Amino acid sequence: MEPSAKVDTQPKPRLIVRLGIFLASHHILFSALCCSAGIIALLFLPSLAKNTYLSENALIPGSANPLFSSEDVTEANKFIKGIEAAAGESRGGMEMSKFIVQQMKDLGAEVCYHEFLPHSKHFHPLKFFTSMTNDLAVRPNGTYSNSGTNTIGIIRAPRGDGKEAIVLVTPYNPQRVQANEVLSLALGFSVFSLLSRAAWLSKDIVWLSADSQFGEYTAVSAWLNQYHNPMFVGGVKHEPDGIAEKAEFTDFKRAGTMAAALIFKVGETRNYGDRDSVTMYAEASNGQMPNLDLLNVVHYLAVHRQGFRVNIETISSLLSSAWLRAIAEVIHTLGSILRKINPDWKLDITASDYVEGTANLASSIYNQALGVPTGSHGAFRDYQVDAVSLEFSPTFYIRNENAKSSFLVRGGRSVLTGLLQA
Amino acid sequence: IACDGDGGSVRRASCFFPRFPTGMSLIPRAAPAASMAFAGRDPAVISLLKMLPLLLLLTFSSAAAPPAAASPSAVHNNNWAVLVCTSRFWFNYRHMANTLSLYRTVKRLGIPDERIILMLADDMACNPRNNYPAQVFNNENHQLNLYGDNVEVDYRGYEVTVENFLRVLTGRHESAVPRSKRLLSDEGSHILLYMTGHGGDEFLKFQDNEELQSHDLADAVKQMKEKHRFKELLIMVDTCQAATLFSQLQSPGVLAIGSSMKGENSYSHHLDSDIGVSVVDRFTFHTLAFFEKLNMYSNASLNSLFNSYDPSMLLSTAYYRMDLYKRALNEVPVTNFFGSVMKTIHTDSAYTGFLAAHDAELPLSVGNNILDHVMLQNEASARRSNIEEMNEAQLMSHGWTEVLLEQLEGKNSDVVVMYGLGTMGILLAISTWLSM
Repeated sequence: MEPSAKVDTQPKPRLIVRLGIFLASHHILFSALCCSAGIIALLFLPSLAKNTYLSENALIPGSANPLFSSEDVTEANKFIKGIEAAAGESRGGMEMSKFIVQQMKDLGAEVCYHEFLPHSKHFHPLKFFTSMTNDLAVRPNGTYSNSGTNTIGIIRAPRGDGKEAIVLVTPYNPQRVQANEVLSLALGFSVFSLLSRAAWLSKDIVWLSADSQFGEYTAVSAWLNQYHNPMFVGGVKHEPDGIAEKAEFTDFKRAGTMAAALIFKVGETRNYGDRDSVTMYAEASNGQMPNLDLLNVVHYLAVHRQGFRVNIETISSLLSSAWLRAIAEVIHTLGSILRKINPDWKLDITASDYVEGTANLASSIYNQALGVPTGSHGAFRDYQVDAVSLEFSPTFYIRNENAKSSFLVRGGRSVLTGLLQA
Repeated sequence: IACDGDGGSVRRASCFFPRFPTGMSLIPRAAPAASMAFAGRDPAVISLLKMLPLLLLLTFSSAAAPPAAASPSAVHNNNWAVLVCTSRFWFNYRHMANTLSLYRTVKRLGIPDERIILMLADDMACNPRNNYPAQVFNNENHQLNLYGDNVEVDYRGYEVTVENFLRVLTGRHESAVPRSKRLLSDEGSHILLYMTGHGGDEFLKFQDNEELQSHDLADAVKQMKEKHRFKELLIMVDTCQAATLFSQLQSPGVLAIGSSMKGENSYSHHLDSDIGVSVVDRFTFHTLAFFEKLNMYSNASLNSLFNSYDPSMLLSTAYYRMDLYKRALNEVPVTNFFGSVMKTIHTDSAYTGFLAAHDAELPLSVGNNILDHVMLQNEASARRSNIEEMNEAQLMSHGWTEVLLEQLEGKNSDVVVMYGLGTMGILLAISTWLSM
């Protein structure tokens, strides 16, 4: 035996160690490679995405008759006139909410007011360590003149077990009432009144008219906070403002666990174009999204049943960019080549659809990455409640009566059928 | 493997314990007792004497109980129906409507509630989403309320589980389960088993959280066959890929039909926009369409039922399995399973004890009566004096054959049987006295 054989170099390290060393030494190359692979995959995504499959075993949207008829529209029109009158003589914005409360009481619903203060500008670092999750700063003077007031109406399901609820939210600004906000309140009221007469409810319905003078998000999140983490302010009583009936509605009323929430409002008239449109906002805080079936149901109903066009927010600059269009053409040709090789491999998407899809994707990624909710549905997501915001954009002039009625009908129908699935 | 009696675990195989003492099992148990009793005496003579009455008893008991032993030739005398709906939630309204429609059909054609086991996994009639409370429809014209009067649900809600279903089939219940929840069929029963819900390849989904596998169903049917719990069984399944559920069956006398084959879906028939969900499935709809034309007296055959399923209307292929079923389908009327039509046998007179010399049932009653007599005679003779019996025995052992021939001449068989059993009883008394 030769002793020289024993004098060996160090044994070779294991493969994985060698791989790691190789990667680390060429890290710039690999980083660039992975980043570009990611970007290419993102660019391919709109063409690879399939259409949503709604399983007929579980979800059959639009299978029930919505029952929204012209009588409901007449009722809504009456409501509009009433609320405009109330807005006219409003002092401090209380008349409108009193009118809404009166209307809800007439329907037989339970009503309550919720007062809240805007988020204080101070940052309390110790807030995270105490259980004081409520931002309600109690002023020593007791002046509540600059607090917002939400009005809440609750319909109990006649044969339900009262454990779950569905929430409808219509935001409005009582300080500066606009015509489209009045229309959204009317829409909410008509849906609410229809549901108060429905025998097939299995969950309670809560209608929140949120006071958006400090911002829509503030109002909804304050209400949700009080709902889930109640703070009992002992010994602090309201100055009786001379309004007797307000006192009986100050007890906070609840309706059980929230199953889903729908925030809808009528936006400004966008374009006097072809179709009324609905814009859906789904991104919530920290990149959370609701159950996407909710979006699918709303999209399906709005498009196929009521003839709306559904928009999702886009980054409009991307829509007109030339290089994106070029990429679209490349993918299109690639798709046709692949189809010739094997008919099963599909990349078929038209160039304009691709561009729009990419713009949607970019906007959604941006919003999720930023973590700021795109609407007050974000407040719901903090409590794990699926919520989506709908903004109806009519194409008619907001004062036009006939167009309003038909729009109301269609909007109400789509909201209602969305609820029926729940 | 432990041999379970009734009430053991449902999943293990059971050993067959015969209910009636047949000839084979009686002798081994009796012989050791006899040999032990006669240990001190002359074994040959005494054991022979003991054997003789035993043999006589044996032949008479086997003659007296022919129906218990011969199950293949059992007469069809009752019909049972087990109707199972396995899905819950409002959007599975149509499965409930399917089962209730079959229930109504089966009752209309004659099966009474006490022989129907209805298992409904959820309550659609009183669901808050039902616009028509306490009413269940299977058609959008709302003409027929299936949940009206006289609906007796045996297993409802969360009681419909795979375990309870298999317990119903095999008959292995806890002792507290009431009779209305048991399948009390016997070897003369025809059973209709209808299952509907969501299914797949070799399984049926129960209550959205468990599955019944096809081999479990086959095992339960095999247990039923071993225990003689049915004469013939018709399994009807209305789910997706229904034919796979009975692919593992091997017991004879079973006929099975499924609404679709492997890889096919079964579809609902139509949507009722008033209620908001589909109200009936295609396969059941066409089955009902066939049965609505019938009444109790029709003799439409199973063949015509199976041929009435049109794949273009069902949008799936209804597949039936007849390899385990020996009779020809065009000879079997549908009321054999879906209704309850009894064959009545007209007798001229009511049963009047054992003097009327008529049909096959009578020796059974005669035998029972005489066995009772024997018991009484045993007690009577045991009280007599021992010496008298001994003398009698000695006398009879000489002139036994002459006496017998004398008696046999002019009398009929019943009297002879009486004499024979009487003699046997006396012999039994003697041997008992001798053993003391």
